[in-house]
Amino acid sequence: MNNPVSKLVVENLHLKYGDNPILKGVSLALNPGEVVALLGASGSGKTTLLRSVAGLEQPNEGRITIGDSVLYDSAAKFDLPVEKRNLGLVFQSYALWPHRTVFENVAYGLRLRGNAGGDIDRRVGDALSNLGLGALAKRLPHQLSGGQQQRVAIARALVYNPPVVLMDEPLSNLDAKLREEARAWLRELIVRLHISALVVTHDQTEAMAMSDRILLLNFGKIEQQGTPEEMYNRPETLFTAEFMGSNNHLPGKVAQVADGKALIEGEGWRLWGAARDELKPGDAATGVIRLERTHIADGAGENRVRTELITDMFLGDRRENLFKLGALRLRCYGNPPRGNGECFLQLQPDDLWVYGTSEAS
Amino acid sequence: MFDPSMTTRGISIPRTTVVAITALVIFMPLGLIFWQSFLNAPFFNPAHRFGFDAYAFIFADSDFWTAFLNSVLIAGAMVVIALPLGAALAFLLTRTDLPWQRTIEVLVLIPVFVSPMVLAFGYVVAMGPVGFYSLWVKQLVGDVPWNVYSLFSIAVIAGLTHVPHVYLYSSAALKSLGSDVEEAARVVGANPLRVALNVSLPMTMPALFYAAVLVFFLGFELFGLPLVLGDPEGHLVLSTYLYKLTNKLGTPSYHLMAAVAVCIVAVTFPLVLLQRWLLKTAGKYVSVKGKATRQKVLPLGGWKWVALAIVAAWLMFTIVVPISGIALRAFVDQWGEGINLADVLTLDNFRGVLDAKDQVRAIINTLLIGTVGGGLAVACYTAIGLASHRQSGGVVKILDYIVMIPRAIPGLLAGLAFLWIFLFVPGLKELRNSIFSVWLAYTVVWLAYGMRLISSALLQIGPELEESARTVGASGARVLKDVTIPLIRFGLLASWLLVFMIFEREYSTGVYLLTQGTEVIGSMLVSLWSAGAIDQVAALSLINIALVAVGLAVALRFGVRLHE
Repeated sequence: MNNPVSKLVVENLHLKYGDNPILKGVSLALNPGEVVALLGASGSGKTTLLRSVAGLEQPNEGRITIGDSVLYDSAAKFDLPVEKRNLGLVFQSYALWPHRTVFENVAYGLRLRGNAGGDIDRRVGDALSNLGLGALAKRLPHQLSGGQQQRVAIARALVYNPPVVLMDEPLSNLDAKLREEARAWLRELIVRLHISALVVTHDQTEAMAMSDRILLLNFGKIEQQGTPEEMYNRPETLFTAEFMGSNNHLPGKVAQVADGKALIEGEGWRLWGAARDELKPGDAATGVIRLERTHIADGAGENRVRTELITDMFLGDRRENLFKLGALRLRCYGNPPRGNGECFLQLQPDDLWVYGTSEAS
Repeated sequence: MFDPSMTTRGISIPRTTVVAITALVIFMPLGLIFWQSFLNAPFFNPAHRFGFDAYAFIFADSDFWTAFLNSVLIAGAMVVIALPLGAALAFLLTRTDLPWQRTIEVLVLIPVFVSPMVLAFGYVVAMGPVGFYSLWVKQLVGDVPWNVYSLFSIAVIAGLTHVPHVYLYSSAALKSLGSDVEEAARVVGANPLRVALNVSLPMTMPALFYAAVLVFFLGFELFGLPLVLGDPEGHLVLSTYLYKLTNKLGTPSYHLMAAVAVCIVAVTFPLVLLQRWLLKTAGKYVSVKGKATRQKVLPLGGWKWVALAIVAAWLMFTIVVPISGIALRAFVDQWGEGINLADVLTLDNFRGVLDAKDQVRAIINTLLIGTVGGGLAVACYTAIGLASHRQSGGVVKILDYIVMIPRAIPGLLAGLAFLWIFLFVPGLKELRNSIFSVWLAYTVVWLAYGMRLISSALLQIGPELEESARTVGASGARVLKDVTIPLIRFGLLASWLLVFMIFEREYSTGVYLLTQGTEVIGSMLVSLWSAGAIDQVAALSLINIALVAVGLAVALRFGVRLHE
């Protein structure tokens, strides 16, 4: 449905509000037909980056291009007005115009482009039926459910075949239950229509499910980018490791380094892990391990810690157990051990990533 | 690094034009007043010289100081009277189970929309020495136990008729105060009275303080009431002192009037700045956003009848007495002791109005200036509102300040300044004798009020509705046409209705502009009152009330909020 020939490139984008830097030199590329998620906590600059691409924010420095056309270039003092950028943007609140019907909301972009009446009818009809909205064309936005409004917003952004569709937290306005279904539906739509999309989200599961590539932003800088598998399985930094997935944290000190492994110790525990940074004995470090790779063991042994069970929580498809290790709390999935509450947890050295941390933390 | 306004360059030329015109129509009259005040003769007199003679003259005039003192006294008394009553009324109508709240809420607003000139006349014919109510009371008790012409009465009447202004601001504050903060106080152990004193009152304090400054300001500008009620005993306030100066020296004493005008603005302008600052700081207590919480109602029990009686007495005094007085006086040709009402009933007063060409013109002009003129004024206010909509930067900040300057210039002064402009700016002389001159003065005088209406309509639009239109390809101007203006349509119609009522009610701005062709009911009333033509004043007043009532009825029918 959209035109898969142009590549969106953002180079070294800087943006400040007054003295407050929001984007500190962000670069990214979005290949035709690709979906990239901008992931980050609130305040990371992800929405600002998306709005800068759309032209709704004025960066201070950098360059944005799509194929041969320049959208923004600080060196040439060039800033293409929003309406000339020919992009699609799906707003977090959907921003449907309350005084126009569904049909008129979707048709507006085509009318502005001077399309003929018959052509507009056909293309709006196609867009609406593509999104399962065929019967709702005459309704006003307030007569639609949240999920339907979201689809109208998407149809409005797709109908004039923009080279790139920008989506700002497209699922956050839906109920938790509806969100999972909408996620699958949106991914299907993206694949079926070969859409190139830049999607902002703060939810790592959503980012992994919907996108081909993830850009993790941290205070205006890209922390790491890669496929969902790379981001999840091979995080380069402590920040990425902690942002993706559910984790146990073991802050401690490096006791020994050997052969790409580090022995990290804290009060009452000593564990070998995979060294993910340059480490030397005495360094402050944190061990991070995914919950699903933390296992309950049957007794003491190599790379195991002795803990005490505090409680267990039934989550439907599995159980989550909470253990106490001195001041630390560790969690893992599985059936809780019987007995007096004493329990050994196995943390495989390959699964326990050790990152250096500054002394202060 | 470059100018971020580049993306909106499409509408920047119209914006500059709008800002330039706005600045011109505000600063030209104001500048003229200032300049004139430093001349020793009218500016069109070739012999004029710069100097402080005008100030020296008025500062040496004991009448000026009496008038100044009276203005301060009356304004102060108004605050003392209106503030507690208005706050209590707001509490009764928003937080208790007082009966007939809906009806009272509407009645309360009537004094805001009835011309003070009309109200003042109403008190004369109802409660003056030979007023209807005075004579009825005299028959009962043998004497009239009041004197409406005393300074004390003027202050009481002015105070009571300004209760609605306080009510509006304090009820808005009480409504925006979520009951959760009050419930939280109840939960930690405060009884209802403590809640009112320790939570509700402190949280509405900024609004009350704002209302107090507003009432003092309105008191300082008062013209119609002291003109009508202060005349018999010669009580002057600053605005009536200015008005009487016109003929004090025989020749037009424009330099003296300008000097008095500058003195008035020197007091009102800081008050306007203070109001603006208060309104900004008042925002810090806004505790409800979006979600409307149902407020708990305090049961009054048997006290509700006491409260109702007090409210009824106030409504009786501020609405029923003056308006019924006018209604009666309009249908009799004379009134006094020993006259039987049935003998003097007549329609002659209205025939008299219809026979006088200038009065018929006044009625037609008033209708035109309210409907067509009101619509044009709203169009101008909208243009100014849109010029600064979603913009930031120097020009918009300047616009923000200059639109509130007219607030500080009482209508009488603005009318005078516009008269000078129309008389002495080449090319405008022809317009001076057309209703356009009055329309322009009205539009500028009510600019700040109109801008509040427009900006509150614009504030309702979420920015993403406009941004989404930009991203699908609409230029700045297209967004205004296709999204912004359609979305504020209802707000614009509501503004038109409110401006209609305000323009019907306005009287002082047209006083100096009154000439053949520019008659409006308001200025006609001032002129007929000075000439002692009571019969026509009564008939025209009733017609004026009817016009405002029609506007009010339409506004209520369509659920228009009666204040910004």
